[in-house]
Amino acid sequence: MVDQALLSLAKFLPEITLAITFCLALLVGVIFRSRPRLSMWVALLGVVVSIALTIREMGITESVFSGMIAVDPFATFFKLIVGSSAIFIFLFSLYSAEVLSTMKRLVEYSSLLVAMTLGMYLMVGATNLLMMVLSIELTGLSSYVLAGYTKEASDSSEASLKYIIYGALSTGLMLYGISILFGLTGGAMDIYAINRALVTSPVNPIALLVASLLIIAGLGYKISAVPFHFWTPDVYEGAPITITAFLSVASKAAGFAMLIRFFKIAFIDSSAVGLPAGIWITLQGFEWNKIIAILSVLTMTLGNLVAVWQNNLKRLLAYSSIAHAGYMLMGLAILSDKGIAAVLIYFVVYMFMNLGAFYVVMLVSNKTGSEDIDSYKGLGFRSPFIGVSMVIFFISLAGLPPTAGFIGKLFIFASLLDAKWIWLAVVGAINSVISLYYYVRVVRNMFLRDPDENSGPLKFSVPEIVLLLLLVVPTLLFGLYYSPIVDFANASARMLGVH
Amino acid sequence: MELQPYLLLSAITFVIGVVGVLSRRNAIIVFMSIELMLNSVNLSLVAFSAFLGDVTGQMLVFFAMTVAAAEAAIGLAIIISMFRNKQTVNIDDINILKW
Amino acid sequence: MEFVGIGVLSWITFLPIIGMILILFIPKENQKAMKWTAVAATFLQLVLAVMIYFHFNKGSLGINTQEGMQFVEKMSWIDIRGVPWFGRIHVDYFLGIDGLSVPMVILTALISFIAVFASWKIPKALKGYMAMLLLLDTGMMGVFVSLDFFLFYVFWEVMLLPMYFLIGIWGGPRREYAAIKFFLYTLLGSVLILLAMIALYFSVTVPDGATGERMYTFNMLAMMNPANFQPGTLLAGVGTYWRHLAYIALFIGFAIKVPIFPFHTWLPDAHVEAPTAISVILAGVLLKMGTYGLLRISYPMFPELANYYSWALALVAVINIIYGALCAMAQQDFKKLIAYSSISHMGIVLLGMAALNTQGMIGAVFQMFNHGTITAMLFLIVGVIYDRAHTRDIDAFGGLAITMPKYTGIMTVAFFAALGLPGLSGFLSEAFSFLGAFQTHRVLTIVATLGIVLTAAYMLWTLQRVFLGQPNEKWASLPDINGRELFTLVPLAVIVLVLGICPSLLLDLMTSSLNHLVEVVRAGAVL
Repeated sequence: MVDQALLSLAKFLPEITLAITFCLALLVGVIFRSRPRLSMWVALLGVVVSIALTIREMGITESVFSGMIAVDPFATFFKLIVGSSAIFIFLFSLYSAEVLSTMKRLVEYSSLLVAMTLGMYLMVGATNLLMMVLSIELTGLSSYVLAGYTKEASDSSEASLKYIIYGALSTGLMLYGISILFGLTGGAMDIYAINRALVTSPVNPIALLVASLLIIAGLGYKISAVPFHFWTPDVYEGAPITITAFLSVASKAAGFAMLIRFFKIAFIDSSAVGLPAGIWITLQGFEWNKIIAILSVLTMTLGNLVAVWQNNLKRLLAYSSIAHAGYMLMGLAILSDKGIAAVLIYFVVYMFMNLGAFYVVMLVSNKTGSEDIDSYKGLGFRSPFIGVSMVIFFISLAGLPPTAGFIGKLFIFASLLDAKWIWLAVVGAINSVISLYYYVRVVRNMFLRDPDENSGPLKFSVPEIVLLLLLVVPTLLFGLYYSPIVDFANASARMLGVH
Repeated sequence: MELQPYLLLSAITFVIGVVGVLSRRNAIIVFMSIELMLNSVNLSLVAFSAFLGDVTGQMLVFFAMTVAAAEAAIGLAIIISMFRNKQTVNIDDINILKW
Repeated sequence: MEFVGIGVLSWITFLPIIGMILILFIPKENQKAMKWTAVAATFLQLVLAVMIYFHFNKGSLGINTQEGMQFVEKMSWIDIRGVPWFGRIHVDYFLGIDGLSVPMVILTALISFIAVFASWKIPKALKGYMAMLLLLDTGMMGVFVSLDFFLFYVFWEVMLLPMYFLIGIWGGPRREYAAIKFFLYTLLGSVLILLAMIALYFSVTVPDGATGERMYTFNMLAMMNPANFQPGTLLAGVGTYWRHLAYIALFIGFAIKVPIFPFHTWLPDAHVEAPTAISVILAGVLLKMGTYGLLRISYPMFPELANYYSWALALVAVINIIYGALCAMAQQDFKKLIAYSSISHMGIVLLGMAALNTQGMIGAVFQMFNHGTITAMLFLIVGVIYDRAHTRDIDAFGGLAITMPKYTGIMTVAFFAALGLPGLSGFLSEAFSFLGAFQTHRVLTIVATLGIVLTAAYMLWTLQRVFLGQPNEKWASLPDINGRELFTLVPLAVIVLVLGICPSLLLDLMTSSLNHLVEVVRAGAVL
């Protein structure tokens, strides 16, 4: 037992690093009170080290801590996504007027970001219901506080309150679902054990349906799938932009990782034989993929339609991120590893383009103090580089070549057509046309409208531009040469205990 | 051991909790309703655990209680910060952002 | 043909991009340098196009064989192996032209070159304008030379954004509406093409050259061979439900670009709002992409459906011809009139295509080229008068023949070419199209000839209202056409005249390929 724990520790280094970083960042903040930025650098360094350690884990497939957590390519992939977005967020924070305006609380900000990252690292590997609940809570509790970080602004604390109410509600729903599942499977907590129990002794399908719906509610909240999305626009609008960006990418990635792992391991018919490679089927009499398909249609359609009416750019991006969750859910509905690989590809792409869009919003709001779509009038002429970058991010989000967003959509649609889910692909395609409309509204304001008379050109510092390039270049490059991300995603679609 | 009554009680308290969260306007009462939901979860877990003779369920209950406490602590902190800004804990008055 | 180790088709496609990058580095004040860089890029492109014209082997068939393609460049672009559930993902950088694409390549180079001169007086943000124009040029050229569906699609979409900006920033009063309408319509078409493309990808396999292992492919030529469709896949078989669906998806995608009634409503808006040069490109090249796509992709990949739906195509062609002509007749706005006449003339292309015989096909492709040159002239002519009078209201003019004699001369050539006067290029292509169509769709063709009468009517009526009659005193002092404008119009007029007298200069290039295309489509006629 002790031996096993010690061996597990060796595979748990990224998480340990983050835990230590969390403590260190706090400690540094207490010791060097006058220099709060220091703890941010410590936190940044800690995340970088954890990524380096995660890269060392590539290719390993193991279960650690008595089946609590899986260290497998799938988890490693999402850890890299979460970790890299955390790094980007720290870098954004260095230039965010909003975050720097409350300098004295920078210590809490940095350490809580690390805690949230740790929570997500645990979420992506959790293979036990207990671990799932705890990691979701760690992520959630840190993010509730971070959403209200600029608490002097009343919209921020309002966002925070809404976030925690919905968060707590969905945790409650999910826990209740877990308790039902626990009873149904005769006391199984491990998701592999749950699957064995469900395969060997079929249970009451209604109870199973209720339990899984409740669990979907909990996870759907994390990925902001309709109808569990109500918090998203408000929280995205009220929270500091850096946190919004982090929630929209990392939090969603972690939620998806958990959703995919849970459903793919617990609720498929693992006793089925003679299936082609990479295809799975649902448990007898419980076609949860239909639920996912309906959710995905609702999510993308509602996200896109409501986004059309938004005038606050953060809110618009919130609805767009809801819509993107819908596209990605399609990949899970088709029950094949192709679909999973497509979702992973989408996440790499989504990270760059979405973080980029939020970063531009942050830069502009630093200068103009506004996130309103009207304040973008003539931006393309006031700062051509920023304007063009935003256009690139937006056409990527809309899924037009030659940007990375197109590759993401291409693989999602390809996996759908390959699995003969034509109607779903058509719905997705029509949705991407709708989405173009609201993205182009912003582009229109930037380039087709003249700036207000008293607004001069906007100047940005060199590091700010370099950081932007770090996001623009991959968005374009992966659109033209996508072998690396496809290779990486394909290698990462392997999970512990699934062949 | 009879399982049904416990589950029924748990289900009833859970529904009361959910309805409370969705219908009450006072943030404090909303949090109390959430606690009610979590406690109903605890009840059903303990009941299953005792029925199946398996302690893992009760273990989960301990964690759920801790989580609930942490959630309540942060929730109250946020309510206080909200109250400082707006002098109210009524959710209907918290409407800068559209719900 | 290669220059510095890079094939001529790569050069002709990416020269504008090089020009665009250069322009981005030119300081904002130096407008002259930007203009001349754009001229240089498009001029070199035109030179290459002329070289291609002279080096083109007129006898080779093309269409569905790589051997028949000329100036082929093929390189592996994306190659991902060893994934059990994906098989192998392979995309080629595959360029090549045959008799179907070579007229379009020449047309694109020519129109782009002229468009740069037509843009000489752009009032604002010249840098952005020229950059977008050149990006658009690359997109258009790329569509006509790529033989890999994925590459084709990327080029197809690359055009959208520059076009949006060109209409939206430099357009007329309702530019925002026109630009977004264009963007949304074409994107809707594109996603349908995308879905059909993916479905084709998952249905067609070819043996890998080295190992012989079968792999999925985006190669258009492979998609034209029925033997490559794997049994059991989505689009395998002949005339199945899914094939009908894919064909219709492709058809709508291309129809929006042509545009075919009822998907045409974006066109008048886009034309009216776009600056002159962009209207020229839009009418001269962009519309041809729709019909080119149908001929390059829909026809040879779904031959049985091309036959099956040929009557439907002939029907929409007739609707296009008559409806476009009637709408044109009702217009007060000079530019809108020409926009609707475009719809009418593209109907003739469709009618020729629907004929499914050599005459019709040659007529269609020849008409694509002629419409490109003639309509480009018409839009330039409107641009000239609009620059001077700042109105496009037809009734506001009158008697311009007296004040602007040179202008009127050029205009008459364009108008007569558009209405199909014998001796000018438009007549021959229309005649071929109708001759071809008459053999297969007798009644519809007879109805369609009514369009010729209507065209003659509105063209002559317009000519009369604008140029003849009492000179309007308001315009008495309008200066006649200047040298730069003449320079844009005269080459086109010469081409229209020369091709009218000696059509074989162009027809020889395409005859064997189009013959072969007809054979390919006919061979699949079993429905």
